[in-house]
Amino acid sequence: MISALRKIPLSVRVPLSAAVLMVLVGVIASQQVLATLSRVQDARIRELAQLHVQALSVALGPHVLRDDIWEVYDTLVRSAGGAEGGRTDFTAVTNENGRVLAATDPERAPLDSQIGDQVIGAQSPEKLTITGDAVHILLLAPLVYQGREVGQIVTELDVSDLVFERTRAAMLLLLGNAVATGVLALIGYLAMRRMLSPIARLSRRMRETAQAPEPIPESELPGGDTELTRLVRTYNTMVRAIEEKSETEHRLAERERFVSLGRLSSSLAHEINNPLGGLLNATDTIREYADRPEVVRQSSDLLKRGLEHLRDVARATLDHNRLDRSSVPMSQDDLDDVQLLIGPEIKRQQQQLEWDVAPGLTELSRFSSAPVRQVALNLLLNGSAAAKQGGRIRFGVSQTGKELRLVFEDNGPGLTDESKNRLLSSGPVVPGGGVGLRLVRDLVAELDGHIGVKRHDGITEITVRLPLPQTEEDGVC
Amino acid sequence: MQFTRRNLIVSGAAAAISQPTILQARETFRLGLTPVFLDNDAGVIDRLRAALSSALGASIELEQRRTYEEVTGLLLEGSVDAAWLCGYPYLQHRQTLSLLAVPVWNGQPLYQSYLIASTGDQASRLEDLRGGTHAFSDPDSNSGYLVTASDLARVGHRPEEFFGRTIFTYGHRNVVRAVADGLVRSGSVDGYVWEVLTTEEPELTQRTRVISKSEWIGFPPFCARSNKMNDPRIRQMQTALLGLSKSQEGQAVLSMLQLDEMTDADPSIFDGIALRMRDLAALR
Repeated sequence: MISALRKIPLSVRVPLSAAVLMVLVGVIASQQVLATLSRVQDARIRELAQLHVQALSVALGPHVLRDDIWEVYDTLVRSAGGAEGGRTDFTAVTNENGRVLAATDPERAPLDSQIGDQVIGAQSPEKLTITGDAVHILLLAPLVYQGREVGQIVTELDVSDLVFERTRAAMLLLLGNAVATGVLALIGYLAMRRMLSPIARLSRRMRETAQAPEPIPESELPGGDTELTRLVRTYNTMVRAIEEKSETEHRLAERERFVSLGRLSSSLAHEINNPLGGLLNATDTIREYADRPEVVRQSSDLLKRGLEHLRDVARATLDHNRLDRSSVPMSQDDLDDVQLLIGPEIKRQQQQLEWDVAPGLTELSRFSSAPVRQVALNLLLNGSAAAKQGGRIRFGVSQTGKELRLVFEDNGPGLTDESKNRLLSSGPVVPGGGVGLRLVRDLVAELDGHIGVKRHDGITEITVRLPLPQTEEDGVC
Repeated sequence: MQFTRRNLIVSGAAAAISQPTILQARETFRLGLTPVFLDNDAGVIDRLRAALSSALGASIELEQRRTYEEVTGLLLEGSVDAAWLCGYPYLQHRQTLSLLAVPVWNGQPLYQSYLIASTGDQASRLEDLRGGTHAFSDPDSNSGYLVTASDLARVGHRPEEFFGRTIFTYGHRNVVRAVADGLVRSGSVDGYVWEVLTTEEPELTQRTRVISKSEWIGFPPFCARSNKMNDPRIRQMQTALLGLSKSQEGQAVLSMLQLDEMTDADPSIFDGIALRMRDLAALR
């Protein structure tokens, strides 16, 4: 119940509480009025009862004293027919021993019968009170004549009019209060709602801009220097802090990209530099043995192969860093490029690379080439760095009906906590983690993919699962 | 002057009211009545007074008391000149009282006493009412006490021990009310009053049932003291009573009372009461 209440928004709960409070006040006020009415009615009926008993005592005293049954009866019947009689439904008079002398309804209280059972629940005139919805109340009073108690008077009073009056008052109060408290509750609700509107606006804004929080413009700030104004200002400050942090992270990620690029360029420089000596030798040979066609042909072949290799390296590097490649579909060539790009680093570190790309990867074309290349290259560079000099790394690519799976293994010491944090979570980036891992995480997240890290038999295994993107044909059912 | 004034008196009750007090005091005739009769109808009593006053040529003061005993006492001590009594007190004081006139009802100066119970009561005779509550009208009433008391005396019972409780209502109509309302189980009532009530207040008598009726007995008579019977005022009253049916006013009152006329019946019509008095006295 309480938990259900807590689910109601504050902007509704507070005004509702105000409304409930108003209704409560109405109910209590009604209770007070009814209690007062009740007291007034009781006082009225007591006075009436006492007058009734006094009048009957005067009229009946001598007859009761003389045991004059007829006169007692006649007086009772006459008084029942009088002005006051409208309220008395039944009256019986007994002698001092409780034996009925006469009653307005002799069948109910026959002559000489004991009144006993008839007076159960009877009240005395001084303490008479109207209880509940009972339209009749029973009154029992001593019949005092000349200072002596000569008998008892039992009267059933009809209080239906008073009960009706009370019920009607209760109904009117209920109705009046319902309307009054309804109006007050509505006003209270609206007032509270208006007061809380900045919070509702803030909450809506936070909900709507959950992905990228935006500050609330100055023009929409609540007036004055209230708690709410301060709350909104604090919110704006927080939003700006988040923006700055996000920007910092973005810059950090860019820098990482450049770091990995730097390392790549360094190995590329080696790759270009190494054959350059051979190529220069070949040109010297051609120049020196220009008259020997077989030597020239051999050298120019060597030169051509060397230049072709340089061309391939240059092209792969260009492809890798070209900005407009994001929309180009992935192909087997991209994987070959990655192998070409990582090759120099592997060679430099004298490492073994197991290239385990499954044949017939038909679904590759569903992906854009840039992010997948970047992910593969970054994780391979990272694996190579972890495996150290002479280490082993493995790269596997396979596909299932639903996803493309990239597996990176190395026999390095495993990922540090900082590296895992970069690779697996969106938490703040602290210095000292693996190269480009946060970039990998962001790229995989953009592709709705999943990264898993396992460590077994001294091997670190990072698995990237990329769900196959929906093609337009897939989308049509 | 006086003659003129008397004529004025004769001409109507309204004029009587305007008479000087001294003259009224001298000539006012005091007539005792018991509420045993139709005491509830002030109209009837006023009309009776007016009619008799016209016939008598003098104003009449009606003296009402609650019981027969009180009215009989007034008559015996001379506080009233005459009284409409019952056959029972008349016979109780037969040595002192004389008959002025006896009303004639349904062609004869006789009536009956009725034993009544509520409509739903299964009793069919007096014996069935044993142990119940019973209403009498007056201990000095023939129909409202003596008849039932003497009937019981004849079988060896007294009302106080035969009935579980007896009450006196001091009015025949009250007996009918007490029975009809269920205050008591049964009652002894003047048959004439009960019959008149069947037409005047049928809703009252419809709630009662006559269990038994007595023999025909002399109707409650108008009486005066025997030693005053030769007093001209008493004579005039007797003449007025006996001639009541001859005047229009008198006829109207008799008709209201559902009586035919007043007659000078023979005291022997009360022999039945005398017999009952003797039987009751025998038990005591």
